[in-house]
Amino acid sequence: MFVYGTVFGGLAVQAGLRAVEVWGMSVLVFAGASQFIAVPMLAAGASPVAIVVTTYVVNMRHYLMAATLAPAFRGFPRRWLALVAHVLNDESFAIAVARRNPPDPWVYIGSAVAIFGAFLAGVVVGTQLGGLVADPARWGLDFAFPAVFLALVAAQLRHPADWLIALVSAVVAIAAALVLPDNWHIVVTGVAVSGVAARFVSPEAR
Amino acid sequence: MRAGVWLVIAGMAIVTYLTRAPLLLALARRPLPPRVRLWLRLIPLAVLPALALPLVLVDHGRLTLSLAHPPLWGAVVVVTLAACRANVLLTVAVGVGTVAVLRGLG
Repeated sequence: MFVYGTVFGGLAVQAGLRAVEVWGMSVLVFAGASQFIAVPMLAAGASPVAIVVTTYVVNMRHYLMAATLAPAFRGFPRRWLALVAHVLNDESFAIAVARRNPPDPWVYIGSAVAIFGAFLAGVVVGTQLGGLVADPARWGLDFAFPAVFLALVAAQLRHPADWLIALVSAVVAIAAALVLPDNWHIVVTGVAVSGVAARFVSPEAR
Repeated sequence: MRAGVWLVIAGMAIVTYLTRAPLLLALARRPLPPRVRLWLRLIPLAVLPALALPLVLVDHGRLTLSLAHPPLWGAVVVVTLAACRANVLLTVAVGVGTVAVLRGLG
């Protein structure tokens, strides 16, 4: 997570964000994938509404994690839960669920705090290093954003249906990107393709 | 302070919190319906390619389909490595390196 934060911090500064904006985003949003997505959109001058809606859709997977974790947190004060909710993240969820089901709330809280700290420390280091590279394109660093997205999705492809969904989404998005303004192709394609796929894929097969 | 950027960050923070807090605070007793669970799991599979491929292949509203386009080969390398379950950060580094080397040669 530290390295992931460093990469994010470095790339965000190169994309034109100020260090303090990158730190603020990392503390307040703390959702790596959506932050990686927002930075090139901000750099490209996408509309604020498009960026916020895209963030929402990308982070909708949290609903699934929150619903799975909720039974483990019965009896916790609500004020605590409001804080625990903010550090909900994929990695801590995976760790807590892999160890025990229903997950141990303290394993979850411990790993979430550790990951929050490691990610932020990485971001701070990254924003300091990021300004040092003068010509990012020469080192292929402009390709780092799509590379992160492609690596994240390809690592999740298990069933043939997953490959089909990803492929259809890629083709539809390219077509949509040519006609829609302001990066709306991301949300439109993401919601439409996953929605159609969820109707046809059998839930029992997963 | 650039107000526009902070406004976007505030908006992102609010909608992200709205994906995390409600179901945790409600201490949801029942799991989500299977079709909804499935849809929530499929969203990243559809969003990530929708994000990545136009960044690779669309430049200023025009499709760039050329074998001499380094990011195309970077994408092929990344998808191949990641599909073989290589480490994500290593995969990204090799992809970025591929683009840098091809640009250096071209």
